[in-house]
Amino acid sequence: MMRKTANIVLLLVAVAFCYGLQMSKPHYGDLIGPIPARGKMGETIVGRNFEARAEKVAFARNLKVDRFGETKILTTGGVWAVVTVEFAARAQSTSVAVASWRGPTGLAYDQTERMSFADGLLPVAIDPGLPKKARLVFELRPDEASNATLLISEKLMSALDSQAEISLGPVATASDGLPASTVDTLDMSQPI
Amino acid sequence: MTAQDLVQQSGLGERKWRRRSLWALLLLIPLTLAVDGYDSIKALLADNDLFARRVAWGQSVHFGGSDWKLTDLRGAFGMANLPPDSVPVLADFSVKVGDPDLQKLWLGCKVMLIDAAGRRWTPTSAVTLKASGDVQTCTSAIFSGARSGDTLNLRETFLVPKDVTKTIRPAVGLASERPHFLLFQLERD
Repeated sequence: MMRKTANIVLLLVAVAFCYGLQMSKPHYGDLIGPIPARGKMGETIVGRNFEARAEKVAFARNLKVDRFGETKILTTGGVWAVVTVEFAARAQSTSVAVASWRGPTGLAYDQTERMSFADGLLPVAIDPGLPKKARLVFELRPDEASNATLLISEKLMSALDSQAEISLGPVATASDGLPASTVDTLDMSQPI
Repeated sequence: MTAQDLVQQSGLGERKWRRRSLWALLLLIPLTLAVDGYDSIKALLADNDLFARRVAWGQSVHFGGSDWKLTDLRGAFGMANLPPDSVPVLADFSVKVGDPDLQKLWLGCKVMLIDAAGRRWTPTSAVTLKASGDVQTCTSAIFSGARSGDTLNLRETFLVPKDVTKTIRPAVGLASERPHFLLFQLERD
């Protein structure tokens, strides 16, 4: 009887131990996920193959783009965020293709696909010693604008490769809920 | 033979085997790592240009079934609309086709410029310079239908910082020859 009870206790302990192991271990996706290179706005973030430095963030209600010689105004129900980033390749020519905007609540916004032909968008090809600027354009909810993080990687599946994580810091909000620095229309045909 | 002797003997046998097993680990652990890592190492070697074969100026070298020769490397100074302190560089090769199965042998063709610090530049699309009709790039030549004995003129255009123009050397890598690649020396080397 004693032995039986001891066996049952042992089994329960083993189950609890295994459950603890399962709960505490890092998720498989974290183990093989991108490797973060963190930094702030204005700092140069150094990844394995590329460096990135976020220069400025502009918010706008509308974007003005030239498409095949025709001017188009892109409106939004939220707000446009346009981040100017300078990229540089490190040891070999490469290209940076993927960026997303992660808001304070964890919502992540991919780059907009509404302006595929504008100049200076990703993907951008970069060579060692020749820094190049690009614009990352996101369409977001106004309450996701402050304390956001910009995530940049070379390609979509950046498993076990660098991902720049740039903290963009707090953004003051105006009475209409949009960031205080929001302009009415941002002209995307202007050089970067 | 008493029971005590038997116990002693089996103890000796056990100790011997324990020792043998420990020694065997010395062999088995590296062997396991080797078997386990074989595919990864094979992929690493097949995907990367790791070992340079130096080619003297003016020399022609058999590589990927054909004879490769660097004919010119020059900067195209004075072009407008380029990033500051950058210069386009043209690398010209003359390749005499040996084995005409270029789609197999030249697959993954990669022409690069490598500087003294080991930095690598791949061809740019930011600069387009007019070339005469028979000039091709490495990748377009794969589908040119060239026959054995034909000579192909290849040209690749790069964009590099001005300060590295003195130390850059052209290099060619092909999937069929990786991890080896050709590193061409210049006349002044």
